[in-house]
Amino acid sequence: MRTRAAPTSIQFCLALALLCVATAAAGENRFGADRGKLLMTAGFTTIEGAGGGGLTPWALITGYGTERSWGANAHATGIALRDFDYMSIGAAVGVLDRFELSVARQTMEASKGALDGVSLSQNILGAKLRVFGDAVYAQDSWVPQVAIGVQIKRHDGIDGGAQAGLPSLTSVTQLGAQDEDGIDYYVSATKLSLAHSFVVDVTLRYTDANQFGLLGFGGDVDEGASLRAEASIAYLMRRSLAVGVEYRGRAQHLSIDQESDAWDAFVAWAPNRAISFVAGYVNLGGVLAPVTGDSSDQDGAYLSVQIGF
Amino acid sequence: MRLKKLLPQLVAATLMCLGATSVDAEERLFVRLGGEAKLKAAVDELIDVMLKDERINFAFAETDLPKFKHLLYTQLCELAAGPCIYDGRDMRTAHAKLPLTSAHFNALTEDLYIAFDRVGVSYPVQNELIALLAPMQRDVVKR
Repeated sequence: MRTRAAPTSIQFCLALALLCVATAAAGENRFGADRGKLLMTAGFTTIEGAGGGGLTPWALITGYGTERSWGANAHATGIALRDFDYMSIGAAVGVLDRFELSVARQTMEASKGALDGVSLSQNILGAKLRVFGDAVYAQDSWVPQVAIGVQIKRHDGIDGGAQAGLPSLTSVTQLGAQDEDGIDYYVSATKLSLAHSFVVDVTLRYTDANQFGLLGFGGDVDEGASLRAEASIAYLMRRSLAVGVEYRGRAQHLSIDQESDAWDAFVAWAPNRAISFVAGYVNLGGVLAPVTGDSSDQDGAYLSVQIGF
Repeated sequence: MRLKKLLPQLVAATLMCLGATSVDAEERLFVRLGGEAKLKAAVDELIDVMLKDERINFAFAETDLPKFKHLLYTQLCELAAGPCIYDGRDMRTAHAKLPLTSAHFNALTEDLYIAFDRVGVSYPVQNELIALLAPMQRDVVKR
């Protein structure tokens, strides 16, 4: 039997602890960590834990370690959606500017409406391999940096069903999902154009996830996985400041959730290599509208903090 | 003959006009960086910043600074399509004896940003110059 979703307060403490450990480690060059990448070229952390933007991964390897070193970071991200509180915490390590490993825990909890108190969680193990290209140094070429990645997602059950008058609701399969667990595969191509001060990423993801996997995988409407496009574009305003927008194509598999594409607009600020902040606006479209009877866009403020080296 | 006398002058005038418009049209990076005065000031600042930078100042321990300053200026000037010819060694030869990593390369890049900040060159224009320097990482960094 799976453990129930942890209360948000415990997650918050865990996130703080992770951030503290990362800060302490970032205090000095530990175990050959060179913190050698240019500011912001380590990217930020997505809601699924991979290095990238906010909604979509980039081909950049997370952390400030160069090709002969390593780096690591921890993140905590919160999104205050209209009827849901969304949270992601996790940690990631980048090795030799070639491999990336990440762990993240996502929770989405209804904060009002018909499902008030119901919470969905999943744990994600991510791996990314840089295949070819150089996003930063190859400014004389349009060939992007390309990476392939995998996100292994395990659902952690539904909590708080009783609060919403649904005491028997404990698994996403009861909502029509084919599986509680699933795997996303993706390929990302990222290019920094210094001459034009912008970063572009295009990602293709093969997935059957519902709401990133928080509502399980596959469904009663469509059980199959499909290829979905994602993109980020960011303009570098200063060495430590960027603004951008992202788009993430998504598919509907469940009759109880008319899942739509998601997008965001963000400001990213990296005052130094140890800490960075991303603030923005996210719109996931309607979430569980046929259940809640409310088809309004679930949108709201996005705030993410990364600490590392 | 009048035409014979006039022709070279016409040609010269046309060339001058063409030259002037091509500079304006292209808005050469050298000009946008602020020309000779500002680029020289930036090189002075860069030398100041990098010699204080504990990450990379070891690499300049035996450097002939006045010569280095001249070479760096002519190199940046030439890269920015300015009226200079860099006559120093190629980057691979120049750095052959130094155990340089990407971290060192990036540290110098960071110092270059700081130097151009100090002389008041805007960030997008700084990036245009850095874009021309970035591919040198392949020659400077040891594999």
